[in-house]
Amino acid sequence: MSPEIGHYALVLALALALFQSVVPVWGARKRDAALMGTADAVALGQCAFVAIAFAALTHAYLVSDFSVENVVLNSHSTKPLIYKISGVWGNHEGSMLLWVLILTLFSAFVALFGRNLPLPLKANVLAVQAWITAAFLLFILKTSNPFNRINPAPFEGRDLNPLLQDPGLAIHPPLLYLGYVGFSMSFAFAVAALIEGRIDAAWARWVRPWALTAWMFLTAGISMGSFWAYYELGWGGWWFWDPVENASLMPWLAGTALLHSAIVMEKREALKVWTVLLAILTFSLSLLGTFLVRSGVLTSVHAFAVDPERGIFILAILIAFIGGSLALYAWRAPMLRQGGIFAPVSREGALVLNNLFLTAACAAVFVGTLYPLALEALTGAKISVGPPFFNWTFGPLMVPLMVAMVFGPFLAWKRGDLLAAAQRMMAAFAAGIAAMLLTFAVTRGGPVLAPVFIGLAAYIIVGSLAEVAERVQLFRAPLATTLQRARGLPRSAWGTAVAHAGVGVMLIGIVGETCYRQELIVQMKPGDTVEVAGYQVTLTGLAPVQGPNYRDVVARLVLREGGVDAGILEPAKRVYTARNMPTTEAALKTRGFSQLYVSPGDVETSGSIALRFFYKPMVLLIWIGTLVMMLGGLLSLSDRRLRVGAPKPAARRAPAVQAAE
Amino acid sequence: MEGSFAVWTMFALMTAAAVMAVLLPLARARTADGGSDLAVYRDQLDEIGRDRDAGVIGAAEADAARIEVSRRIIAAAERSGATALEGAGGRRRVAALAALVAVPLVAIVGYGLRGQPGYPGQPLAERRQQAPGQNDIATLIARIEAHLAANPEDGRGWEVVAPVYLRLGRAGEAVRARANALRLLGATADREADLAEAQVAAGGGVVTAEAKAGLERAIALSADHPKAGYLLGLSAEQDGRPAEARAIWSRLIEIAPPNAPWLGVLRSEVARLGPADAPRPTASDIRGMVEGLAARLEADGTDFDGWLRLVRSYSVLGEADKARAAAASVRQRFGAEADKIGQLDALMRELGMGG
Amino acid sequence: MTTTTGPVPARRGMTRKQRRLTLIGLALAVLGVAAGLVLYALSGSITLFHSPTDIVEKNVQPGQRIRLGGLVETGSIRRGENMQVSFVVTDGRTSIPVAYRGVLPDLFREGQGVVTEGVLEPGRQFRADSVLARHDETYMPKEVADALKQQGHWKPGDPAPNPNAAQPGASR
Repeated sequence: MSPEIGHYALVLALALALFQSVVPVWGARKRDAALMGTADAVALGQCAFVAIAFAALTHAYLVSDFSVENVVLNSHSTKPLIYKISGVWGNHEGSMLLWVLILTLFSAFVALFGRNLPLPLKANVLAVQAWITAAFLLFILKTSNPFNRINPAPFEGRDLNPLLQDPGLAIHPPLLYLGYVGFSMSFAFAVAALIEGRIDAAWARWVRPWALTAWMFLTAGISMGSFWAYYELGWGGWWFWDPVENASLMPWLAGTALLHSAIVMEKREALKVWTVLLAILTFSLSLLGTFLVRSGVLTSVHAFAVDPERGIFILAILIAFIGGSLALYAWRAPMLRQGGIFAPVSREGALVLNNLFLTAACAAVFVGTLYPLALEALTGAKISVGPPFFNWTFGPLMVPLMVAMVFGPFLAWKRGDLLAAAQRMMAAFAAGIAAMLLTFAVTRGGPVLAPVFIGLAAYIIVGSLAEVAERVQLFRAPLATTLQRARGLPRSAWGTAVAHAGVGVMLIGIVGETCYRQELIVQMKPGDTVEVAGYQVTLTGLAPVQGPNYRDVVARLVLREGGVDAGILEPAKRVYTARNMPTTEAALKTRGFSQLYVSPGDVETSGSIALRFFYKPMVLLIWIGTLVMMLGGLLSLSDRRLRVGAPKPAARRAPAVQAAE
Repeated sequence: MEGSFAVWTMFALMTAAAVMAVLLPLARARTADGGSDLAVYRDQLDEIGRDRDAGVIGAAEADAARIEVSRRIIAAAERSGATALEGAGGRRRVAALAALVAVPLVAIVGYGLRGQPGYPGQPLAERRQQAPGQNDIATLIARIEAHLAANPEDGRGWEVVAPVYLRLGRAGEAVRARANALRLLGATADREADLAEAQVAAGGGVVTAEAKAGLERAIALSADHPKAGYLLGLSAEQDGRPAEARAIWSRLIEIAPPNAPWLGVLRSEVARLGPADAPRPTASDIRGMVEGLAARLEADGTDFDGWLRLVRSYSVLGEADKARAAAASVRQRFGAEADKIGQLDALMRELGMGG
Repeated sequence: MTTTTGPVPARRGMTRKQRRLTLIGLALAVLGVAAGLVLYALSGSITLFHSPTDIVEKNVQPGQRIRLGGLVETGSIRRGENMQVSFVVTDGRTSIPVAYRGVLPDLFREGQGVVTEGVLEPGRQFRADSVLARHDETYMPKEVADALKQQGHWKPGDPAPNPNAAQPGASR
């Protein structure tokens, strides 16, 4: 397949996107069903052509077609197959193409499965999606064309960096992008609603599955990135408050807020204006995240000056979409009718509190990430805003959120009773205090606050599950009744409980790792033994090992626990011979959810080696917690309410219709 | 040519598909078959009923919620009654025209700005089949050249590529590479001598004044440098001073370590000069040597390297016609061997006589 | 703002207006707390980046927590007992000695870029508690690259500022 076919397909997709940007909106204005009806097929066509372009680029990588500049710069004929494929999106041009492919995929899903949407809304949503698609396709074709050719073609590509050949790096970007781009759907729904000038409870129900899907992918992407850093970078850290990480955390925080405010809007028709704003902000932060990482601004503010065309285009897209949608919002939002009212102490009130803390935390991360960039651009002063800043701002904002998170589901809609809710949460309080005292008794050392946080985690887990337990009348009704009620309980209730419990699980991991981590740096000679976290670790020897393209010095460590053999660890200092590039291969020993992490330092001429031991209690719970949160999202997504849309219900029962009269 | 035809056919098919994606839904008679918010509200009513039956909410709350949802249903019903969805022929025609004209136009203009439809894909495996044998060195050179294009200040890169050029007969490029290495990494006797060696090769074996100056700088840095000494000896011989050449080479033989690799070459050169006093051919006799080479190749034409030397010699002597004639007979004799023709082409390019 | 259709069920104490005011007050309180936290954290936990020349020219006072970045001076690494390491960070014009205890990162080498974080001690000595080197051979810590560019030591596109000085391993 010629790369030119991919190039042409990309241009055709742009032509269709331009058509779709205009005609369906016009149709919606004029209430012309024929014009609105074009949006579906055109969206599918766009998706097909972008897919052809992506396939053509992938093909060029697979057959090492070095007449394509992008392949020359980012591939090599001897790369393993999987890294040839991941090389497609391992660079700026290819990753932008992947971004657009995911965007058009989401549009195609709306076109295929959005049969429950009113025709004008659907036409407008697809048109807004097409605006984004058209802008990005223009950006790609104008400044970052992956199909630029080289003639004559070189015989070999230039990329062989072993550090970039990693499965984590191959899967991480697509997951993140599915999250980022998924939030384009809630953005498109918000803008479409603003164009129409009306928005109601049904809107929230249509948006929720898309926002939930995007949220799950983003959660997976962030969690995976963190796990990769922990495993591969050799320092045992799992979150660095690095700008790249913050760029993905900000849309996650805003998106989480959006998910919760959409519930209020669906149930009570309240918080409409706020929900629409959140939908716009979440996608704006996704755009910002994409560009912060992709434009190179993070590595150097000067990257803009190096490639001004690309930089200005990026700025233009950001200003057009963020500024344009906010302007539309300012103009149209006052026309939206206010919905139901509620008392401050109520389910709605708790969700508002959740939104406040999430957005405040998001704003704090925003300031910490962008303030240094802005300061350097304006004054030239270079500062680094490190973990202490985020620990001081993000932490205190998260604690009240976690306390309130458990209360919320116990409160009734409209007007809740705090005291009654507290009474029903006795089990949660008891569990929290018990866990706190237990931690206090069992552990030595560690900050005073650590047991309190473990107690908080236990309170969250028990409290979240207690709400469901109460609704199914666990232990209070016969088992059969309980089971029947459990089956009758909406999946979204299960989803809430599980996702909230996941936060508690993650909190245990975080507290265990940060407060009870043991660290030991020792200089060891063969035969030496040290005691780490209940293990007796003996260095039995240092052995050179020759790999296919590297040399290792392996430190062989024998672990004994209470006199019993507990296995062998073999961390290594590795040097890739071709580039004389040293790397550290850490070794891990897992015990329950805890891990012993050994990272070797330099070998001294005296024959001793510096070894860095970390014992990380409960560390695996951090990622298990995110998995539990995603499971909660999945349960919620499978709720029948959200499916009201997807397969159209065959027949409606008569009483409902009567109620409408 | 046929590949290009296939590409254009694909373009045409894809454009047709894109246009149809617009025209088909326009042509289909369309009713307003979209969903509406009513379905959602009815479902909410059902849900309230279920919740009340299950005892999740009390009867009073259920009634309040029911009223709230019913109000939404009434509002939604009013709205859907107010908006009749109709189509208008005029608008459809405009949309159809846009699909027929604008979509292909945007595609062709947009593609025309950057596209190269006549340039087929170049999968590496196919290219390797087309040019066997050559690609190992070609691959190496391509990689180094790409690297040097990006990092022209990498002296070590120039140093690596120079001998490869020399071996391939691309002496002109070897000179450039050696000169760059010398400039970037600093002058040493080795680098001066290497540059001179390349210059001699580029001059068809003649030690030019430029090369000689470099050799003298090398000797100044390291008096016993074997390569510089050997070439200076050659220079003396070509200048008509064979005795001096013999003296230089003999001294090099004396001071060389017993198993030095260059001993053999030096001994055979001294032997070639013959007895100390015999008159030897001088620079003016080079033409005669060239004629001799030509005669030998005429008799036995299998010596490919000899042919290349002949082409180069004629060129250096300024006899371009004879050089071309020699090149033509190389093509005749070695036409079946692609890599040899490749070497010849490289030489002709280097000599400025086309490919 | 438009009003809702239907009667307002305000029989339980608070009027609609009061409820709205409560909400707005709550929002302002949370935002105020957030802003306070941000300002407090910004004043206390920001570290400024300096090159050795900056330290001399701007007369940075001892005791301040800063980041110091530059090149590890060739031949300056000394390893002592108990994983004590000392080396000199230079930007070509000025040099500052650095003391550190711990395991050095993989790509910490003489002649290569490095960023250290710690406290300046009297007598222009730097005590580092963390040392960061580049991750791969084309990566140069951003601040170091900028500082070196100012001193005219490095051009973008160079694989490394001084490849000849790269001597892997310990030198004593």
